[in-house]
Amino acid sequence: MATTPEIVSGEYKYGFHDDVSYLAQTKRGLTRQTVEEISGIKGEPKWMLDFRLRAYDHFLARPMPTWGGDLLQIDLDKIVYYRKPSEGEEKSWDDVPDKIKKTFERLGIPEAERKFLSGVGAQYDSEVVYHSVREELTKIGVVFMGTDQGLKEYPELFKKYFATVVPPEDNKFAALNSAVWSGGSFVYVPKGVEVPLPLQAYFRINAENTGQFERTLIIVDEGAKVHYIEGCTAPIYTTDALHAAVVEVIALPGSKVRYTTIQNWSNDVYNLVTKRAHAHAHSTVEWIDANTGSRLTMKYPSIYLRGEGATAEVISVAVAGKGQHQDTGAKAIHLAPNTRSRIISKSISKDGGRTTYRGQLKVAPGATGVVASVRCDALLLDEGSRSDTYPYIDIQEDDTTMTHEATVGKISQDQVFYLMSRGLTENEATNLVVQGFLEVFTKELPMEYAIEFNRLVKLEMEGSLG
Amino acid sequence: MTAADAADVAGTGSPAGTAVAPAPVAPRPRPSGQVRQGPTDLTLGFVDEGTVRAIAAAAGDPEWLLADRLEGLRAFAALPIETNPLYTSYVDLRNATLADTRPYTTPATVAPGAADETLLPEGAAAYAEISEDRVTALVVSPEARAAGVILETLDELAARDPGMSRQLLEGGCALPENDKLAQMTRALWSQGLLIRVPDGVRLERPIVLRWIVGAPGTALLTRTVISIGEDAEVSVVEEQVAASAPKATMAEAQAFFAGTTEVQIGAASSLSFAGLQDLSLRQVAFQHRSAVLGRAATVRWALAQLGSRVIRSRIDNKLEGDGSAVEQAEIVFGSADQLFDLTSYTRHLGRDTTGNLLSKGALADRSRAYFKGLATIDLSAHGTDSFLGEFAMLLSRQARSVAIPSLEIDQPDCRRVAHASAVGPVDETQMFYLESRGLHPDEARKFIVLGYLEPVVARVPLAGAQDRLRELLEAKWVAQSGSRSGTAEVA
Repeated sequence: MATTPEIVSGEYKYGFHDDVSYLAQTKRGLTRQTVEEISGIKGEPKWMLDFRLRAYDHFLARPMPTWGGDLLQIDLDKIVYYRKPSEGEEKSWDDVPDKIKKTFERLGIPEAERKFLSGVGAQYDSEVVYHSVREELTKIGVVFMGTDQGLKEYPELFKKYFATVVPPEDNKFAALNSAVWSGGSFVYVPKGVEVPLPLQAYFRINAENTGQFERTLIIVDEGAKVHYIEGCTAPIYTTDALHAAVVEVIALPGSKVRYTTIQNWSNDVYNLVTKRAHAHAHSTVEWIDANTGSRLTMKYPSIYLRGEGATAEVISVAVAGKGQHQDTGAKAIHLAPNTRSRIISKSISKDGGRTTYRGQLKVAPGATGVVASVRCDALLLDEGSRSDTYPYIDIQEDDTTMTHEATVGKISQDQVFYLMSRGLTENEATNLVVQGFLEVFTKELPMEYAIEFNRLVKLEMEGSLG
Repeated sequence: MTAADAADVAGTGSPAGTAVAPAPVAPRPRPSGQVRQGPTDLTLGFVDEGTVRAIAAAAGDPEWLLADRLEGLRAFAALPIETNPLYTSYVDLRNATLADTRPYTTPATVAPGAADETLLPEGAAAYAEISEDRVTALVVSPEARAAGVILETLDELAARDPGMSRQLLEGGCALPENDKLAQMTRALWSQGLLIRVPDGVRLERPIVLRWIVGAPGTALLTRTVISIGEDAEVSVVEEQVAASAPKATMAEAQAFFAGTTEVQIGAASSLSFAGLQDLSLRQVAFQHRSAVLGRAATVRWALAQLGSRVIRSRIDNKLEGDGSAVEQAEIVFGSADQLFDLTSYTRHLGRDTTGNLLSKGALADRSRAYFKGLATIDLSAHGTDSFLGEFAMLLSRQARSVAIPSLEIDQPDCRRVAHASAVGPVDETQMFYLESRGLHPDEARKFIVLGYLEPVVARVPLAGAQDRLRELLEAKWVAQSGSRSGTAEVA
């Protein structure tokens, strides 16, 4: 299996380095030609070009969603839809805003990673270059590589599953991603293999006004087990970018997949993501999803329980501060008998921020013996902030057992008072209460992530991220 | 809006619709030549300016009222069936075939002897009975009359006190401006009732309203205005029942009933309102109930929905006054292919207001219930206590329950904000317990289901009406368990 540097140089061999006129990036805006250009640069098979063009047509035909957040500020003509690795604009550490630098410091991000995360170090924009596949994983047959490389190296496996979970016609931004996708992760875990360590991938938007349209495809074969981690706690610096990703997970019978996301885009990013998993018989799919960054996030990780006895769990956390709208939630669609799902959502609105829980729980005819629960809790910390809850519960089988509960409140003054009587300052006490509120999420994270996440929440609470 | 658009804005996709389309309703054979109707299509043959002017002329409407009707007509034309993007994918009017219905265009005539006191039901303070286009009873007890309580038709009100008529009706009163069907009623109502309770009057006995409607091919559009002064207390029982015997066949033309209840409650007053809807399966009902509450005012809704092929109902509670409260309980007992499309909006505006809303459905056969509830807590609503519960029990594999209990909150300083929803089958443990006491399983099932709905029955403020509701629920239980064993199709 190729290691990281070879991936990059390997793709250069496919002959796009000699055509300098559009090597660096496509022109701003999206035309049919842009789509053809992207596919050409990548040297893709015809079926992928056809797929992209079909998606492009649908993208044009599909109206903008009129629900959710305010999408009117997105200027689709200003976006660069493809930017090749290594040729982004060089930035210096001095250009990184103080706010971001300070946050790195407070979060305890190592020096080398700070530059990397702020786009100063390794200059790779739209291609995945940071995949560390351990030797031992390679030995046991686990595939973990960039999605473009996956298409080249595993064409049959790729074609069999690609876009089967999220078709381009699913929604406008899935169509956009399908037309211009680049980068993302391709993961295949063979039958019966348990991946001992979480697979981690950093996603980046480095250059100003560069969209990121990564596409992740994770196939977990029968009886296999994997934990995939996307994102990181550090703010990812960019301006006015659009991030429209698609993530597809296929959990084959008896497998177990956990997908953890900590989303902390800088507060100018429109983060419009379609994440969906197919859970086959007796498999388990878990989305552990936190959103603290971005201007607007619209993301509803979904699980389609297609096989008997499948299990779904979604833990979703959203924190919205000044100027932010987190329109997030979860969907569990029960299509097979004796399937179970549990959705837990926690949100915090402060400093004029807005959180929206939008969820769907559906039990289709034929899905007998379903057990499902939804729990949504929201904290509203001050006047001027807003919290919305929109759950859709559609039950079409009579022996379903479903419960849904939601509460919205402020921080309990009793708890704060108690903690202060134990010697904590008001700030510390409030922090502790908020951390307790989010613990259901934090405790599911690997330790180093949990520590960073708690620090991040503390920073958010202090308002030092403004 | 097309069905595809509706699916797009379902609000439940990611930026995404769901790839799983809402399950289609069990297809029913259609009479040949009938144009295929989309879920949000509603064809009505009479909603036009000519009909509005004819109704206004027949009633001798003053200028302002005709203008108000025309305003309603304009709003009707401009609005989609569902204006709230949260709910657009949960609308289904395909079983409402109303294109050939014709409205009553003249005000109801008051039958001779309608004021005969012997018509007053036992325990009632006043009674109005409207049978199609005739007022067959309109009686106020001597005590209520002495206290200044008024129960009259809107026609009588216009003649008696034009100023009050204008004050209560103009501008669509409290009817929701963004609701197409409410605006239709505003444009085309031909009948109506006023209940007026002056300051300081506490009526112990309820006022009873009874609508007996459903002649094939007819449309009855009515407005009921309830105006309660300060420091008063009143209870109302409203029944909407089918005119013809329940032997009606599906082949007969549908009839529809569109009725409003427009309530204004003054400071420190309370209204208990019990509504029973038991129209037939070839009737379609559109209900709009709205209450505007003053300081420390309370409204208690206890609503039972049993009948109609399709019922679309909307309740708007506007908690304007500090300390005002709404207690709302609504039950549904569905069978055959009935659709209960029930929306409730509760808006908290004043300080320390309380909203306690509960919906419960028991759904048999292929019946469906859409429970849509939205509680909005404005920035001004410090100290709000808001609870919204939507529960359903599915009695058949073909039944369907949709619950969308939503919250929009701008004010963090609340006593409680919560909602809950649960769906489940008949509880096995309860079955086991009752069977161990010697009950036949069918009997045990009946106890559990009717017991589940009992909390609303118990809130009906008139013993006679309570018993009647229990009887209707029992009868419906028998009918639906009969249809399950294949012996009856139409309740």
